Amino acid sequence: MSERNPLLSGRPLRSPDARLDATAAVDSGHPDARAEQLVKGGVDWFADLDRQVDQTVMTSNVSKHYRMGEQIIKALDDVTVNIAAGEYISIMGPSGSGKTTLFNCIGGLTKPTSGNVFIDEIDVAQLDANELAWLRCRKIGYIFQSYNIIKVMTALENVTLPMLFAGLPGDEAQDRGVEILGRVGLGDRLLHTPKELSGGQQQRVAIARAFANRPAIILADEPTANLDLKTGEEIIMLMKEMNREQGVTVICSTHDHKMLAQSDRIIWMEDGRIKRIADRDEVKITVSQMSDHQ
Amino acid sequence: MEKAEWQIGELRLRADLVWALAMSSLKVRMGRAFITGLTIATTTAFMMYLLTMPYADPNAPFHDGVAGMMGLRTDRDAGEVQGFLLMFVMALLVAAAGVLNTMLMNVSQRYREIGTIKCLGGLDRLILFSVLVEAALLGLVGAGLGVIIGLAISLLLSVADYGGAFWSHVGFGGLPLKVIFVLLIGMGLTTLGAAIPAQIAAKMPPIEAMRGEK
Ligand SMILES: Nc1ncnc2c1ncn2[C@@H]1O[C@H](COP(=O)(O)OP(=O)(O)OP(=O)(O)O)[C@@H](O)[C@H]1O
Ligand SMILES: [Mg+2]
Repeated sequence: MSERNPLLSGRPLRSPDARLDATAAVDSGHPDARAEQLVKGGVDWFADLDRQVDQTVMTSNVSKHYRMGEQIIKALDDVTVNIAAGEYISIMGPSGSGKTTLFNCIGGLTKPTSGNVFIDEIDVAQLDANELAWLRCRKIGYIFQSYNIIKVMTALENVTLPMLFAGLPGDEAQDRGVEILGRVGLGDRLLHTPKELSGGQQQRVAIARAFANRPAIILADEPTANLDLKTGEEIIMLMKEMNREQGVTVICSTHDHKMLAQSDRIIWMEDGRIKRIADRDEVKITVSQMSDHQ
Repeated sequence: MEKAEWQIGELRLRADLVWALAMSSLKVRMGRAFITGLTIATTTAFMMYLLTMPYADPNAPFHDGVAGMMGLRTDRDAGEVQGFLLMFVMALLVAAAGVLNTMLMNVSQRYREIGTIKCLGGLDRLILFSVLVEAALLGLVGAGLGVIIGLAISLLLSVADYGGAFWSHVGFGGLPLKVIFVLLIGMGLTTLGAAIPAQIAAKMPPIEAMRGEK
């Protein structure tokens, strides 16, 4: 491929067998290669996350209120929930019940009006700006309901960006970006910008980006809403695989009852509150009842 | 419950990433950058013209040393010096208003992008510095263009006024300082205009930044 990726110093995209050239560049002291060596500094980038510990997500009386003129909207109202490491949680609830707001609070993307969020027993509110950035970058992978992919960047740039933030050298980030985009079925759309992609393809860019830094926690806000059944199932299976094999904690909101089969527990929300929490086994009955209704 | 071993790590600011983000941002918003550059160029061109126009008094603040490029006519009085100063201050104000406004708009429209970058773990400083580098580059190029245009107008008018005799009388000793002075004003205004909204956006929690809420 001869097209270029401006974010990655305009280096042409490399196929895996071009690796030898890169090694040669390091040896010959090519400035780009040297800069990358400096940045890399011989650290194993994902070593600290390979050590799987009992991280948890815990919210304690988390509320988020929005003031709309005279009215106060309780997007979240006193939510207390405890999620263990390696759990696969599904969150269900009608539109406006506060699922996205809960995700934003858990992910340290917004400050709760009151209450605390703990990640691995660390109070997120106590973190300084750099630590928060680290948490968002390395610890948590977000799949946003509205994708939030950067409009002016290509699919590949969107996916490599968090890896560059994490300190990965440009070449490695690019190779890994190509690999992950291939996994979500976008191997032939690497250099497309969001407006050249369909809704479902944008969603898959968002999914690939969330997986980029091998996060310990994945917050997936209706990740399959715009995907066809087959692609949707593939994405869910991908998350389930990461959950099972690498112990990644998955918290996933959905309107689709078929997705519940993968989850360990299901949380129902309503009007900013948790209405019910149930294990999968308890829910089997409910699910069949629901499908009877339809 | 066992105490978690996991510890919060630290992200480092990468100069290469600051530069890459600034360049990619300039590249994808070429049209906007062009218009911003033109605003800077026209306002700095006017300043440059004022500093080098042929009838600036040798006693005027920007003559000899700081200025002193021209000075063919020495029959100017204090009133004209004041007039010159007033013009220059006005040019500065026009430049400040135009450039600050353009840069404020420019960066404010990127709150969503800035919020997204924060969501992905971009450091506040990465956002701030990349916007500043981008603005400073724009300022440098725009003001560079302005200097050339202003100087060209100044020289053209001088030649028109004094004909060929002009070249034998004029001295260019003060020119470098004037050029640097105008370039610094151009870069200073663009960076300032970008720094304010960028700093505000970089400090906001990401979701609020994406909504562009103050
Ligand atoms: N910035 C905001 N300002 C005011 N109200 C807000 C804001 N964000 C969310 N809300 C309100 O908070 C409530 C919860 O919103 P949220 O987006 O969390 O719902 P949701 O469960 O994700 O819904 P959906 O399934 O439609 O995505 C809604 O009533 C919404 O109107
Ligand atoms: Mg939502």
